[in-house]
Amino acid sequence: MNPSGKGEVRVKAGEKGAPPREILITGFGGQGIVLAGLILGKAASLGDRKEATLTQSYGPEARGGACSAQVIISDRKIHYPYVRNPDVLVCMSQGGFEKYAHLLKPGGVLIIDQDLVRLSGTWESECFGVPATRMAEELGRKMMANIVMLGFFTALTGAVSVESIRSAVSASVPKGTEDKNLNAFNRGLDFGLATLKGRQKKAEGRKGAN
Amino acid sequence: MSGLKIVLFLCNWAPHAAFQKLQEYGSLIPPEVRMVRVPCTGRVTKSLLFKAFEMGADGVALVGCESGACRYGSGTAIASRNAEDAREILELLALGKERLRIATFLPEESEGLRRFLTGFAEDLRGMGASPVEVVGRSIDSERRPISLQLSDADPGVGTKERRNVTAEIVAAYDMYACQDCGKCSSACPLTLSGKAFSPRALANAVIGGHMDSPVVARDVWSCLTCGLCYDRCPSAVEFHEFVRRMREVLRDQGKAGHEAHDGFFQSLMRTMTSPALKIDKWKWLPEGIRTDPGSKTLFFGGCAPYFDIFFGHHLGVRTREILVDSLRLLNFFDIHPALIPGERCCGHDLLWTGDREGFLALARLNVEAFRSAGIEEIITACPECFRTLNHDYPKQGIQMPCKVTHLYEFLEQQIEKGAVGFAPLHRRITFQDPCRLSRMENRPELPRKLLGRLRPLHFKEMQDHGNSALCCGNCAWTGCDSYTKALQVKRLQQAKSTGSDLLVTACPKCQIHLRCAMEDPFRGKEIEMELMDLTTLLAKTIHWE
Repeated sequence: MNPSGKGEVRVKAGEKGAPPREILITGFGGQGIVLAGLILGKAASLGDRKEATLTQSYGPEARGGACSAQVIISDRKIHYPYVRNPDVLVCMSQGGFEKYAHLLKPGGVLIIDQDLVRLSGTWESECFGVPATRMAEELGRKMMANIVMLGFFTALTGAVSVESIRSAVSASVPKGTEDKNLNAFNRGLDFGLATLKGRQKKAEGRKGAN
Repeated sequence: MSGLKIVLFLCNWAPHAAFQKLQEYGSLIPPEVRMVRVPCTGRVTKSLLFKAFEMGADGVALVGCESGACRYGSGTAIASRNAEDAREILELLALGKERLRIATFLPEESEGLRRFLTGFAEDLRGMGASPVEVVGRSIDSERRPISLQLSDADPGVGTKERRNVTAEIVAAYDMYACQDCGKCSSACPLTLSGKAFSPRALANAVIGGHMDSPVVARDVWSCLTCGLCYDRCPSAVEFHEFVRRMREVLRDQGKAGHEAHDGFFQSLMRTMTSPALKIDKWKWLPEGIRTDPGSKTLFFGGCAPYFDIFFGHHLGVRTREILVDSLRLLNFFDIHPALIPGERCCGHDLLWTGDREGFLALARLNVEAFRSAGIEEIITACPECFRTLNHDYPKQGIQMPCKVTHLYEFLEQQIEKGAVGFAPLHRRITFQDPCRLSRMENRPELPRKLLGRLRPLHFKEMQDHGNSALCCGNCAWTGCDSYTKALQVKRLQQAKSTGSDLLVTACPKCQIHLRCAMEDPFRGKEIEMELMDLTTLLAKTIHWE
């Protein structure tokens, strides 16, 4: 077992198998979409010493409508902070999916909360689902769904290191809830690692135990 | 003279005449041969064949009449079947099946008999003495003083005087706390099966100083040690532990219990206490199971492979598949565990039939093997091994160098991580709780979490389940009688009345005992039901999403 996820297979989201550069996180206002983007950017810049930008869009869409956080992570200076065609699109609501899905770069990765988003019938790109909201509910607080999602995202993409994002999570959530949130993060991370392992096994033709 | 011993079980009829002719003519019978004249080789059970090895034989020969010449008709066939099973078990124990031979002779074939015996003796000289040690483990009660049974960890017996033994047992297990309320007897599955047995009556008899009464001895050996009375007792008198201790004392006095299957399994387990025995337990494993001798995680199998050979001809049980499926499930989650070829029995059955000395010997050998392999975690699928390694080893003063995890707990943790699903199961299922896991370790939720993940047509609990489940009828291979059979029938009727067609078990012994009850020719279909271990069911249906 490998909690840090090092040495595991990851999805190839960015250019030529590199970690993803442009990430778009979408969902309802109030789901913690912007906070998720903020944590991701903190982990990349403060933890991994990379360049990162965050652009949030909410305005009239806040409180119930579709909202989004655009994160760019790069080794070099970032000259333009808006995401045009994301390498990874994270959708935590149906509205977010419908509004942004067409922007996803060809070969990019779609990550959804599988209980909240139903893919349209014609969807063809690679998609990974996690019951983030349900898991957060099981852990005691629905509002931690964004943290579960961050764990899942980290396991799949490796966009940031696990250590950095763990400390970014602890630093960004309300005082006294650090352990709960780290728990939620681990839950998502484990689910992501298990998902990758399962896909790899299936690809090798070993689906069951026999 | 080689000093080796061959026990020759010789049929009274045809071959005995041949043997006599050898004696009359002064032919040289190898000095190793000790002849035991028996009425028919068909009556020499697997247990008798095996006990000879436990008690120091280097070789055993079973010599009977030729098939068709048997005076009783079926003797030769039964003898060859018994010998075949015993030979397979000897092979699994690495004693070597060549140490047990079977042959048949007509009365006039004395030369053939002579050649057989000299040939056997010569081969045996090549093989050398049996690695089984007998010293200090005689079943002769006089040679086993009570003081041998003492350890610092146990509230033991300080003197050989029986009165003091009684007083100390009563004190150690707090028997005076018994309020004589009768909750135990109203719950005891044995009492409810109609047997004249009552836990509180037994407690009272011992408090009253009737330790030597034959009724006390009978009841001590009747108890199933299922722990249901302890579950109900408002004063928390640990009755099953009291019974366990009483059995040690009675056994020391030569009052052993009625061991099922002629004591074969106790004999087998005592044989395993010999350190020189180089058991090679896992060589039968099918291909494709991935293990790693360097792993810090050990899979502890248990005795299922021996059970399968022993019951192979009778019930056709396949409990060792549970071990294969456990390993498959571990492999499924990329765990390639270590296996110890010299793995001994955990000692559960010796501990619960009063042979603490034998139990401790097994425990020490096992723990030594864990240590030298640098094991950090043991995973086992057997509820008895789990309870014994996890609870009884430390309690009896044997420190475990590693943690013990039941397979179900490991699986639940892994499945919880997600991305694992189960194929639909087109069966209606119910579940037989293993007493050691569900009641004594108080973990009835462990199998149930996994059952809840399966996708059967329906899962319905029996009337008595979880902490209150009924025993499968026997424990530690002792006390099998018509009442325990009645109890098994009752349990199977409960299972049937859930409307299920598959009874899921979690212990190889539950499967053996319930399967045995189904052999009842008068009940027939009324209690017949397919049995399957939960581990097998999981391995069959699990898949990556």
